[in-house]
Amino acid sequence: MITFELSEEQQIAQSTIREFAQNVLRPAAQRADADGKIEQKELDAIWSTEIVQAQAAEDGRSPILNVLLLEELGAADATLALAVAAPMAFVQAIADQGSAKQRQALLALFTTPKYQAAAVAVMEPSFRFDAGHFDTKADRKGDAYTLSGVKGFVPMASHCSHFLVIAESDGAADAFIVARESPGVTVRKPKGTLGLCALELAEVSFESVAVPSAMRLGEHNGCDVQKIIDSARVGLSAIATGLGRSVLDYVIPYTKERVVHGSALARKQAIAFRIADMHIEVEAMRWMSWRAAWEMETAQNATRSAQLAYTYAAEQVMSIADEGMQAFGGHGFVRAHPIEMWYRNARSISVLEGIAGV
Amino acid sequence: MVDFSLTDADKRLVALAREEAAIGLTYSRYYDKHEDEIEPKVFPDVAGRPDPLEVLDEIEGETSGRVIAELLVLMETARGDVRMRRIKHHLGDKIVNYAGTEKQRELFGHKLLSIAMTEPGAGSDPSMIRGSARYDAATDEWILNAEKIYCSAFGASDGAVVLVRGPEEKGVRPFMAFVVEKGAQGLTELGQVRKMGIRSWDTADFVLQDCRLPSINKLDVDFKKTMIVFNGTRPGVAAMGLSIAGSLLDFARSKLMGDDQALNYVRVAKTRSAVEDRLIRLEALYEATLLTILRCKWLEHRDGTTNGATKVEAAMAKALGGEAARKITQECVEMLGPEGLSEEYLAEKWFRDARIFDIFEGAGDVNRLIVARWLLNYSQKELN
Repeated sequence: MITFELSEEQQIAQSTIREFAQNVLRPAAQRADADGKIEQKELDAIWSTEIVQAQAAEDGRSPILNVLLLEELGAADATLALAVAAPMAFVQAIADQGSAKQRQALLALFTTPKYQAAAVAVMEPSFRFDAGHFDTKADRKGDAYTLSGVKGFVPMASHCSHFLVIAESDGAADAFIVARESPGVTVRKPKGTLGLCALELAEVSFESVAVPSAMRLGEHNGCDVQKIIDSARVGLSAIATGLGRSVLDYVIPYTKERVVHGSALARKQAIAFRIADMHIEVEAMRWMSWRAAWEMETAQNATRSAQLAYTYAAEQVMSIADEGMQAFGGHGFVRAHPIEMWYRNARSISVLEGIAGV
Repeated sequence: MVDFSLTDADKRLVALAREEAAIGLTYSRYYDKHEDEIEPKVFPDVAGRPDPLEVLDEIEGETSGRVIAELLVLMETARGDVRMRRIKHHLGDKIVNYAGTEKQRELFGHKLLSIAMTEPGAGSDPSMIRGSARYDAATDEWILNAEKIYCSAFGASDGAVVLVRGPEEKGVRPFMAFVVEKGAQGLTELGQVRKMGIRSWDTADFVLQDCRLPSINKLDVDFKKTMIVFNGTRPGVAAMGLSIAGSLLDFARSKLMGDDQALNYVRVAKTRSAVEDRLIRLEALYEATLLTILRCKWLEHRDGTTNGATKVEAAMAKALGGEAARKITQECVEMLGPEGLSEEYLAEKWFRDARIFDIFEGAGDVNRLIVARWLLNYSQKELN
C-alpha cells in the first residue's frame, strides 16, 4: 500500500534531531571545516544522540528512520553527518552480517559514553577505482588471510579502533575486520581534501596484515559486500538531501533581501525559478532515498534503487550548490558565508563510496 | 509507515491496464497518421474485457487509494497511447459536479464536458482571456462571444465548460464559466488541431458567435474555484508525459544495451560507458519524477482532491514531469542515432508526443511560478 506517512515515533525522532543538528552542529560546521578537524565536544555531542549505538541494538535499526535522521544531520553539516554515518556503517555491517562471536566482541565497543570511531574502508587511492573491483587483496592460507593494499578516504581514520576492509579474496569482494593496532596497519597523515575537510579523510595501508579467518565478516559464511555499498549510497543520498535543503534555506532570505536593478533578486524569474527547482529536486531526492531505505528495511535487494537514489542526489546536490553560489554572487565565493563550503562539500559527497550507512 | 509496495488490487488494475495498453500500441501509428479520426467509444478489441476503471470502483477499498490507483492505471494507459475506451469524465463535468447546483448537476453532470480556456492570445496567462459574456435581462439569457482553441476532448465530448469574462463590475470584468453544449446556436466547431505529436489526442478549436445560453448554464464559480480542478489533473498529465518518456527509455535501453545486457547498478558512475551512464541518469530522473507524482497523489488521497490542498505539490509534479519528459525523450533519440528517426519504430513518435507535456495543463514556467511564490511568500503581483 503506497504511503509516504511517517509514524509519530519517526516524526518525533526527526524533529528532535533537527533541533539538535541546527542548534549544536550547524554553528560548529564552518569552524570545523577551517580547522580540518571536529572538536571532541562536538563528537561527544554527536555521540549523545545515541544514533550510532542504536544500530547495534536488536531491532534498533531502521533504514527509513536512519535516512530521516541523516537528512537532518546533513542539513546542519554534511561533514558532521558523516562523522555519525561512518561508524554507523561499521556497526551496521557487523550487526547485520557479522557472526554471533563478532557481534559479541565488537558491538560492545560502541556502548561507551565517548565518541567511538570505526569505518568501512571501501575506496582506494587510484583514479581508476571502481566499486566492483578492489586492488586490496586478501590471500587465504589455511586459517588466516594476509591482507595487502591501500585504502583511501577513510573517515576519521586516525580515531578509528577498527576498520572493515573491503578486499578481493578468491576472486570476489569480501570484508575483513582489522584492528587499527594490528601489525602492518599504518594510518597515513590526512593530505587534506576539497571538501568534508573535518572528516580527516586519510589513507590506511595494510602491509601483509595477518587476519585470522575469525575476523572475516560473517566468518565461514562470508558476507554480501554489495549490501554495505548499497547502504552507503542511500546514506550519502540522505545527507545530500539535507545539504541541498540547507542551501535552499540559506538562499531564500538572501535573495529576498538583496536588491539588484531596482527589485529583490528573488522577484526575478531567473532566480525564482532556480529556487523552485531546488525545492522540487530536494524533495525528489528525499523520496528516492526513502524508497531505497524502504527496500532495505523490507529485506529486498536495493542495489538498483540505491544506485539511482545516489545518481540522482549526486547530480542534483551539485547543481543546487552551484545555483546557490550563483544567486549569492561574490558573497557566495567568500568564506564568510557557508555557500562555498557547501559547494565543495556537494562535489565531495557525490563521488564517495562506502562511508555512510543506513 | 512509509511503504512503496502496491497492493494486490493495485497490481491487478495495473495488469489489466497494461494488457489494454499493449493492444492500444498496435493502433499508435494509425492514429498518428489519421489525426482527424476520433477513436471509437470502445474498441472491439477490448469487448468483453473488464474496464480497469470499473474494476477500480469495485475494489477501491483494497487499493492504495482511489486517486493513486487511478494514476497507476493512467500511466499504463498512456504507454499504449491510443485509449481503448473513451474516458467517462473530463475536466468540465468534474467542475459541474463539484461546483454546480443540484439542478446543474442533474442537467449536465452526466455529460462529457471539456474545459475551454485557451484562446489565441491567452494560454499560460488566463487573465488575457478576451471571450465575453453579457446578460440579456429580457430573455434571461447570456450571450457569449469567444474563440477557443486547443480544447482537449472537445471532438468527442458533449460540450464544454467555457471560461469567459463577464460584464464589468467595479472596474473589473470577472471570470465566468458556462456550460456550452454541442448544437447550441452560435457554436461553430472548427475541427481537430494539427499538432506535432499526440495526434490521437482529441484536440479541437471552436468559435462562439452571439451564442445564447439560458441562465441555468452559468456556473457559480470564480476563477480560483475553476482552477482547483487542475490540482488533480496536473500530476496525472505529468504522469502521462512521463509514461511516454518511459516507453522511449525502455526502447532505448533494449536497443542500446541488448535485451540480456542489463544496466550495471554496482559500478561507480565514472567507469560506465557513456551510453550506460546516460541511461542510468535518465532512469534516475524517471524514478525521481514518478515518486514526486506519487507523493502528490498520496497527499491528494489523504487531504482531499477538490479543496486545493495540493496546489503546490501538483505544480511540482507537473514541473518535474514536463522537464523529465523533454529531457528523457531528447536524449534517448540522440543516443539511438539515425535509426531512431525511422517511422519503422515508435521512438520518433514518442519524441514528438512527449514535448507538449511541459506546455499544456500548466506550462513548466507557470508551475515554477506557483512553487516559487509559495516558497518565497510572494503574491502574484510580487512575482510574475
